[in-house]
Amino acid sequence: MVSDSIAAMPIPSAANTKNPGKKKRTNRSAKLKQCKIDARREQWLSQSAVKNKGCKDGVDDDSHAPPSPAVKHTNRPLEPLNTGGRAEEDDGLIHHDSDSESPTNCPAGVLCGTDSGTNFTGSSSSGGSSSSSTSSSSGGCCSGNITEEEDEGDDDDDDGCLDDWEAMADALAADDKRENPCPDSPPVILPCEGSNVGSPNSKSEGVRFVPWGSGNSRAWRADDAFRPQSLPNLSKQLSMPNPDRRCVGGGPWGRASMPSSCPICCEDLDLTDTSFLPCLCGFRLCLFCHKRILEEDGRCPGCRKPYECEPVETEASVLGGSLTLRLARSCSMIERS
Amino acid sequence: MMISGGGGRSSWSSSTSSWVPTTSVSASGKRIQREMVELNNDPPPDSSAGPKGDNLYHWIATIIGTPGTPYQGGIFFLDIKFPSDYPFKPPQVVFKTRIYHCNVDPDGLVSMGILKDDWSPALTITKVLLAVRSILTNPDPYNAVVPGIAHLYLGDRAKHDDIAAEWTVRFAK
Repeated sequence: MVSDSIAAMPIPSAANTKNPGKKKRTNRSAKLKQCKIDARREQWLSQSAVKNKGCKDGVDDDSHAPPSPAVKHTNRPLEPLNTGGRAEEDDGLIHHDSDSESPTNCPAGVLCGTDSGTNFTGSSSSGGSSSSSTSSSSGGCCSGNITEEEDEGDDDDDDGCLDDWEAMADALAADDKRENPCPDSPPVILPCEGSNVGSPNSKSEGVRFVPWGSGNSRAWRADDAFRPQSLPNLSKQLSMPNPDRRCVGGGPWGRASMPSSCPICCEDLDLTDTSFLPCLCGFRLCLFCHKRILEEDGRCPGCRKPYECEPVETEASVLGGSLTLRLARSCSMIERS
Repeated sequence: MMISGGGGRSSWSSSTSSWVPTTSVSASGKRIQREMVELNNDPPPDSSAGPKGDNLYHWIATIIGTPGTPYQGGIFFLDIKFPSDYPFKPPQVVFKTRIYHCNVDPDGLVSMGILKDDWSPALTITKVLLAVRSILTNPDPYNAVVPGIAHLYLGDRAKHDDIAAEWTVRFAK
């Protein structure tokens, strides 16, 4: 893909100007970003198809509607203002637009700051903190999401690899679902996607995305009538975009109040277990004990109520690896806020 | 991702089907050992418990009769046997000291909801001992295993307490 190579190219060079030693890492992250771009692009392609059929019902819909030519015209005069790699790519605009509609983003600061005029919280910080505008635009352009914001914000990034990996898993899983032939009629699993991928925008950009939530079931809003009750409430976006979250606990999942071992079998809880919250009462246990209990009486050891989210378990095991963690994370968000 | 997250235990679980007894024993052993440490660090009032010999699954416990009850002053010994699939199944608690109580059958077996259907894997021996202590203070005649004692407890509490105190003096001191 032409656009991918263009989008990925500025990253190593920008990193080299800053710190030559980081070349290896940025190369790897460039690959990851390419994958994400692929996923986003397909996402956008399928979405623009839906949009062209016409869900122009929103007031501010056209402010971020990718296929609308008006937007491109308003964007185009801005291009010379932006430096380096961005000005040369038309296709990059598409990525920006797809970013601005995709939930986990904070697109490149310059474009969105001038385009919408407001409230991309991440974009201002990413633009401001990075030393070279090239790197800021390339970072935002590739997959301007929370991960990138952190990458730009502070440059130590030991867990940047992990974040990239998660973001890529999110993007790929979203991509898998996008291949569903009829995005107009939301499939059953879409709420999961909405809760994970779609949640972070509703804090800072909830107003902007009002037409989208109802238009093509891109993301569930908290007050959406069709939103499944099992979805967690605005917890991920409260915790995830917080740049200080590293200070809360040890790892990237900083959580102070977590038990370190399963209260049932006393084995250490791993990452999958710690992000697993099977019951609303908050009683945590490892997946092995949970499975064991489901095979017997199926009641939560903490509150003795029957486990209600068994479908999550079975669905996760059927649908495979990446989704398992996503679902588990969405389950666990309830307590983390 | 699930497999990589599970780490070393994934191979462990795959071999479970052909190797159930040993794995479940070792898993419960870790839990029982943890309970033993916690019991030593924070023992419940007027009671103690620990492995009888070198068998982790067979404990002996003592409960001192609560003052103000007909059991006061008595020292009651209990046997606690952990099933191999503990904590998914409740432990078995047996009074080795004879006691006049409507929830303790003639063989000493304690009958409590949490030791049967209401058992939860989150319960520990510490909590079980507290529960046993509480039924010494407040017997549950409506879920009794010795109907005669329950009947007397409900109909003639004073006589019930006299007999219980007499048994305490005779067997538990």
